Amino acid sequence: MRRRLSPQRRRRLGFAVAGWTVTFLLVAPFLWMVLGSFKTTVDFLAFPPVFVFAPTLDNYRQVLADNSFLHYTLNSTIVAAGATALGLLLGIPAAYALARWRRTGIGVVLLLARMAPGIAFLIPLFVMFLELQLVGSYVSLIASHLIFTLPLTVWMMIGFIEAVPIEIEKAALIDGCSLVGVLLRIIVPLTAQGIAATGILAFIASWNNFLFALVLANEKTKTLPVAVLGYIGYNSIQWGTLMAAATFITLPVLVLALCVQRYIVRGLVAGAVTG
Amino acid sequence: MVDVAAAPRAPVTPRRRRDWTPELLSLPALVAILAVMGFPLLYLGWMSLHRWSLVGFDPPRFVGLGNFAQLVQDERFVEALGRTFWFTALGLVSNLPLGLGIALLMHERFPGRSLCRALLILPMVATPAAMGLVWVIMLDPTLGIVRYLLGAIGIDHPPLWLSDPDLVVPTLVAVDAWMWTPMVALICIAGLAALPPEPFEAALVDGASALQRFRYLTLPMMLPTLMVAAMLRVMDLLKLIDIVYVMTGGGPGHLSETINLYNYLAALSYDKIGYGSAIALVLFAIVIACTLVLIRLRRPAS
Repeated sequence: MRRRLSPQRRRRLGFAVAGWTVTFLLVAPFLWMVLGSFKTTVDFLAFPPVFVFAPTLDNYRQVLADNSFLHYTLNSTIVAAGATALGLLLGIPAAYALARWRRTGIGVVLLLARMAPGIAFLIPLFVMFLELQLVGSYVSLIASHLIFTLPLTVWMMIGFIEAVPIEIEKAALIDGCSLVGVLLRIIVPLTAQGIAATGILAFIASWNNFLFALVLANEKTKTLPVAVLGYIGYNSIQWGTLMAAATFITLPVLVLALCVQRYIVRGLVAGAVTG
Repeated sequence: MVDVAAAPRAPVTPRRRRDWTPELLSLPALVAILAVMGFPLLYLGWMSLHRWSLVGFDPPRFVGLGNFAQLVQDERFVEALGRTFWFTALGLVSNLPLGLGIALLMHERFPGRSLCRALLILPMVATPAAMGLVWVIMLDPTLGIVRYLLGAIGIDHPPLWLSDPDLVVPTLVAVDAWMWTPMVALICIAGLAALPPEPFEAALVDGASALQRFRYLTLPMMLPTLMVAAMLRVMDLLKLIDIVYVMTGGGPGHLSETINLYNYLAALSYDKIGYGSAIALVLFAIVIACTLVLIRLRRPAS
């Protein structure tokens, strides 16, 4: 017990302390958010802030009792699921074509899509959807979210498809399988994991998107990132409910993201149009 | 992955004529891209040449490059532009060194390292609008946890953060850094893992100090990786809007208004569709130009 640590072990201990401190600091806002979501208003207004308190579920009750909040959750789910599914449906065949018959130029298009500010698409799309009387519809939200889910899907799936040995496809073609058959019976099953990861990343990007819903949604179709703004008023902030709502919105994303953590950076490089 | 790419592409169909399969497979995606991206961009270009508001019944009026000429005289635009570059510069000088630092730390072996690395992804995937509001609460000048923590280390009169004209931009940059420095770190971790070990072994044999190894080996060898991270950050910082919108709305006054936020307000709140389109084109051009500059800078290093 008393023996001194060897220099090498001390070094490792030092790195462990530093590494965990940094990680803790980065995660601390989430902990504070979750902690705050269980506080009563009285506890919230205490200064110095209280770390130990009698937890209450009132904030969650209030958030979930609000029918419109559940409605916004449904909106977010519909839009994110729709944009993800459509992105995969359109993106996988395109990624297959690009992976197997190289077409240069796709890189440039993907890079341009990554650079483009969302507002550059939003202004014309808003006017177009206005003409088509589609502003505030799920269609307009899902279609506009394709702007980031589709390039993301193509970019991610090219990598996954290129990792499938081409010999399997050749054998299937010689045996008389059609190309669509190859895609459905070989590529899709063999890249199932990649498709799942891609789908999750697209879902997260769509779920988190703020600006598109701000412009294209109306009171009935607005999604959670816009709805959460409702908890900050001009004079009063309902702190506890805001923390509960924020926890409710971010927690599913955090869990999903941890499932696909290996692919997160690749997805971010391909990039959601963030603004 | 590489082998497949290098292998000669076998003719997939036995027929000799031009094989349209790849085009057919990518056709649906292409149509979608043209519908939601290609056509809107053309329309944007057309709108930028017109004066147009949606409220009222006046048809769009052709003004040529009038909207662009007006930009130069629009003080609010010019200020937002300068401020956006300020945001970007502050973001880069904070994110890159911090990200590389975290990466160097996470590159070392220590118990729980893989869990730490996994947790790094959380700030960048959490919904920015929601986390921005959580930060508003944490930064609250009277009751916020930040005030308490600063008080605990002896800073009794912390600034007002988001209401302070001088500090609002750095504060927003700090929140943005909380979200995105981990991404820079993860990119650098991948870069560090890919460095060849031999030069470091040789330097160790030659008795180079840790600082020397960092200065003369790690840093120059990591430059291409840092450039990639810088490029991604520049693209996103120039377009910063979400957290600004929810945390300050551009205030106090317009002191934290980014170009993207002004663009949104001009086009869709003030209903100047044509003028807003012109701003959007300029913003797009700026992002492209800055990215190209960074790509140029990267070339001699790699």
